[in-house]
Amino acid sequence: MTERITVTGSGAVYPASALCAGVALWWALTELGDIPPFLLPAPDAVVARLAGNPELYLVNALYTLEKVVYGGAIGIGAGIALAAFVAYVPWFRRAVYPYLVTVRVLPKLAIAPLLLIYLGTGMTTAIVFVALITFFPLVLNTAAGLDRTPTAHHYLLRSVDAGPIERILYVDVPYAIPDIFAGLKQSVTLAVVGAVVAEWVVADNGLGFLILMGSENVRPDVMLAALVVLLLVGLALYGIVVLVQRRVHERLGLEVLD
Amino acid sequence: MIDLENVDVAFDDFTAVANVDLGIDDGEFVTVVGPSGCGKTTLLRAIGGLQEPTAGRVTIDDRAPSVAQEVGDIGFVFQQHTLLPWKSALENVVFLRKMADKPPDREGAHALLETMGLDGFEDARPAALSGGMKQRVAIARAIHLGADVLLMDEPFGELDEITRDELGVEIRSLWRRERKTIVFVTHSVPEAVFLGDRCVVMRDQPGRIEATFDIDLPGPRDTESLGSQAFQEQVAAVRQTLHESYD
Repeated sequence: MTERITVTGSGAVYPASALCAGVALWWALTELGDIPPFLLPAPDAVVARLAGNPELYLVNALYTLEKVVYGGAIGIGAGIALAAFVAYVPWFRRAVYPYLVTVRVLPKLAIAPLLLIYLGTGMTTAIVFVALITFFPLVLNTAAGLDRTPTAHHYLLRSVDAGPIERILYVDVPYAIPDIFAGLKQSVTLAVVGAVVAEWVVADNGLGFLILMGSENVRPDVMLAALVVLLLVGLALYGIVVLVQRRVHERLGLEVLD
Repeated sequence: MIDLENVDVAFDDFTAVANVDLGIDDGEFVTVVGPSGCGKTTLLRAIGGLQEPTAGRVTIDDRAPSVAQEVGDIGFVFQQHTLLPWKSALENVVFLRKMADKPPDREGAHALLETMGLDGFEDARPAALSGGMKQRVAIARAIHLGADVLLMDEPFGELDEITRDELGVEIRSLWRRERKTIVFVTHSVPEAVFLGDRCVVMRDQPGRIEATFDIDLPGPRDTESLGSQAFQEQVAAVRQTLHESYD
């Protein structure tokens, strides 16, 4: 199976048309629908907002990105490390795995106010929260991936007295790569969600904070402008993961399944 | 020389292999035939050191199978090809030798793939190869390892009959060339008779040796010998023993 969305040549015509139609509809609603601009500003008003003060949005995007990058790095690193323990330490797996699966049901967003009490307001809380939210998809996907090697491969390596390290590095990890990327894709999306929620609860900067301020001052144009930037940040991060995945999968000769 | 003395393999309350005595000479081609679940795979794993016997002893050249594993003297071929999907045919062949800590020999691997009819497919990944070709690569991998003992666990089990026959002829000529000791497990009586110099018949519950046949077929074994009378008679004899053990 190839990429579901192939944005090349004529393939881009349909989504591009849909985007134009959407913006046109939005514009028509504001222009002809008699909706006051303090409820729904016209697209050009949002663009004007962005163009009028690009620095504000860029600086806050960087603040949000900072939380995503630090929190994401910690969450992803810890997730992969814990997955290795789950996959290779039987007693640890038995003790911990059921809880990892159970906790998945818990909406991690609900933990944010609790972190506020323990860690106070500030960057640390935001980073810990992003780390927490990115951690779970990585653990579960990576652990499942490391289990994917067919048993006969293990027999084959044992038959030449190859050790566990060789087996993990040369066989288990490559078999887990598609699952690790599936986890990364979920994590990177959740990281942006986590950063915005953290900014609502504890921070005084970032795009989430900007949206909150826009709401308090009834400025939907500011909120929409911040949302557009947030969308671009999210897309860029997701795009990076997809690009890296494509390169790695090409090297491994695997198909990109998404 | 592979030597099994009173080998038992039991799992929990179930005995997979009971009281097996078997000696296999260097360079001998032995086939093991029996119904599914008769313990022939377990027996092969015990020879290869992948399964510890619960009683009795297995030795390869008077050493434990684990020692033979350490020096890369055991080449396994499984029913599943167990090729790594992200490596080319050549890289797969080279890989096992590397895992066994033996010095690399890419030219040797290249030449081997050529003699096994995989010329031009060295750089192809497993997904681009047919079932028969994948199994050829797996066999080449075991030979390239440089092991003296090849243990084959129904390697043709998932192939169509024509490919099975072809590969059977190839394995025989390979064996004549390389003079490896081969233990070949199968549930196909004709395959066991065609390939082996000696055919061990097993029966189940618990898995044990029912009879051993010395196979004597005139001339080199090729697809023509499959139709010969000597071959048919041997197949009939083995088959009769297999069925008698269930009366």
